[in-house]
Amino acid sequence: MAAVQVQLPLPVLPEGWSAEKDFKAIGTLSPATQRNIEPVGPHFLAHARRKRHRRTFSEDDR
Amino acid sequence: MSADESIEAAPAETFAIGISFGNSNSSIAYTSGEGKAEVIANEEGDRQIPSFLSYIEGEEYHGAQAKSQLVRNSKNTVAYFRDYIGKDFDSIDPTPCHASAHAQKHESTIAFSVQDTNSDSPSTLSVSEIATRHIRRLASSASDFLGKKVNAAVLTIPTNFSDEQKEALSESAKNAGIEILQFISEPVAAVLAYDARAEAIISDKIVVVADLGGIRSDVAVVASRGGMYSILSTAHDYETAGTQLDQVLIDHFAKEFIKKHKTDPRQNERSLAKLKLEAEATKKALSLGSSASLSVESLADGVDFSSTINRTRYELLGGKVFSGFIRLIEEAVRKADLDVLDINEVILSGGTSHTPLIARRLTSLFPQTTNILSPSTLASALNPSELPSRGAAIQASLISAYDPSDIAQNTHPALTATPHLSRAIGVLVISDSESRGVFKPLLEAETAVPARRAGLFAVPGGGGDVLVKVCEGQREIKVSKPEPKSKSKPQVNGKAGSEDDGDEDDDEDEEEEEEEEIRETIWKVGTVLAEAAIRATKKGAKVEVTVNVGADLGVTITAREVGGKGGVRGQLLEKGGGGRENGSA
Ligand SMILES: Nc1ncnc2c1ncn2[C@@H]1O[C@H](COP(=O)(O)OP(=O)(O)OP(=O)(O)O)[C@@H](O)[C@H]1O
Ligand SMILES: [Mg+2]
Repeated sequence: MAAVQVQLPLPVLPEGWSAEKDFKAIGTLSPATQRNIEPVGPHFLAHARRKRHRRTFSEDDR
Repeated sequence: MSADESIEAAPAETFAIGISFGNSNSSIAYTSGEGKAEVIANEEGDRQIPSFLSYIEGEEYHGAQAKSQLVRNSKNTVAYFRDYIGKDFDSIDPTPCHASAHAQKHESTIAFSVQDTNSDSPSTLSVSEIATRHIRRLASSASDFLGKKVNAAVLTIPTNFSDEQKEALSESAKNAGIEILQFISEPVAAVLAYDARAEAIISDKIVVVADLGGIRSDVAVVASRGGMYSILSTAHDYETAGTQLDQVLIDHFAKEFIKKHKTDPRQNERSLAKLKLEAEATKKALSLGSSASLSVESLADGVDFSSTINRTRYELLGGKVFSGFIRLIEEAVRKADLDVLDINEVILSGGTSHTPLIARRLTSLFPQTTNILSPSTLASALNPSELPSRGAAIQASLISAYDPSDIAQNTHPALTATPHLSRAIGVLVISDSESRGVFKPLLEAETAVPARRAGLFAVPGGGGDVLVKVCEGQREIKVSKPEPKSKSKPQVNGKAGSEDDGDEDDDEDEEEEEEEEIRETIWKVGTVLAEAAIRATKKGAKVEVTVNVGADLGVTITAREVGGKGGVRGQLLEKGGGGRENGSA
């Protein structure tokens, strides 16, 4: 999907913020919900192909 | 190589179409060379083919010709049987067949007793056999039209069809020479019909599909995420559909007839059948014009009858039924734990969805931001009656080259059962404070993983060092009273907000003048997942942030200045420790 465009600006980096390689992992994702995706449509088929061949999005992009 | 294999003829080429098979009507569609779905008209020129079979002196009639036999030959006319497939008699409601061949208990299944040959005694035709004959006729119409033998199909079914029903339907189709490549659910077929159009833009949206048919109405709430669909909830109603609207008109005209002629045409089977067929035609005409007429030759006691009704009157008389549709839609939204404000799109599907009042009612139920896809609200809307078959045709064209084993794999829970995000993931803008920052979602809740979304963010006036703060967000509904003096119309409206388009008011109680609440969705920032710094951005630069959630729910975040060098890349700590390595991208 195309990237969303956000006009509002990112905040200024707070004084004294530092992290190794400028990245700080902080929290973890909330537990996911298990559901069925409908096996229908071109995007599902691409998903199924990636899953069966254990490929990532970027590998698929190539 | 086994002997069997060596003598096996080369498998016939698969030539597949899309079929929607309803209790009331069926529809067949194919995709043209350019991948565009087209609905096929049968020999009579009908694109909506009544799911009816009728027998006269051993000859089989199908579709509209069979339906017209309800007047003279109702006992040998089979109708409204789709939902009986794969069921036992004790679990069904036989009433839809009361004016045609009756559904009977037959061994473990359901059958109809019909004089389908020239012999003296009627045959007992199982619902499976009836379905086979119906599908054979549909396939033959498609083959004639396409000039090539159709031997496979994608077929649409309701979301609550059981595995036994699918199996029985598959068997019936096979006996008609049609291999079912895949069953797809009716609401998802409708979403696909819209999404497959060349002009469609794939986005993350919540879609309500309201499929309002002849003897049932079904609503599904579908999360559409990057073109992948997950059903969040469904609701079904077998007492609120087109038949009940026909009844409204039957009763109206019957009363008029009684007034003039002192006879109730509903008391006589044949009179009632005539009146019903004509009332349905009048109802359809009222979807297009502001008034419609009805005329029946020799309605009762040899008396001809003709009359007209205007749309406003009809809408008033049908008020209860129309409110039933709205309630069903509200129920489905509630079941999905959503609010009308969360719905981006409503697809009106099924024959009854042609009715303009239903779209109008939905326009006031949902906020202005919700797109109502129906003929009366959107010039480019697709025909509601054609959505399922179009969707099925598109799916057929996508999979007809697949091996059956591939299709089986694709539809297996091993592939379809997937974790979905329970919260949105996005980025804070303007402020780094969770209370003052504005949450911009990149991945919405109910997105199946793996998934990846990117956003392009502005930087503060002069550029410089910026913070990318990735958080979870939760949608909340904020309710407030409007400013006392303000005269402006609220942006959104809930149930009470039917500030209609100047039309006469519906028959619902009016609580005007009372100040309307303003309801709106807001994002509440939840868990902070990660922070990253992008240093020394240029004035007017854009920062691209990509969030990638893997199939194992591992999260990778990358951020970089567009056109700049390097960037930052990192992964979230997995639950229960076991931190992952971070590094520069
Ligand atoms: N233009 C129209 N305006 C109003 N109602 C219509 C129109 N066209 C068809 N209908 C009604 O739609 C109903 C049939 O809908 P549809 O063809 O979607 O049903 P189905 O899915 O085959 O059947 P069911 O819901 O019974 O399983 C009938 O009641 C018919 O009168
Ligand atoms: Mg239907």
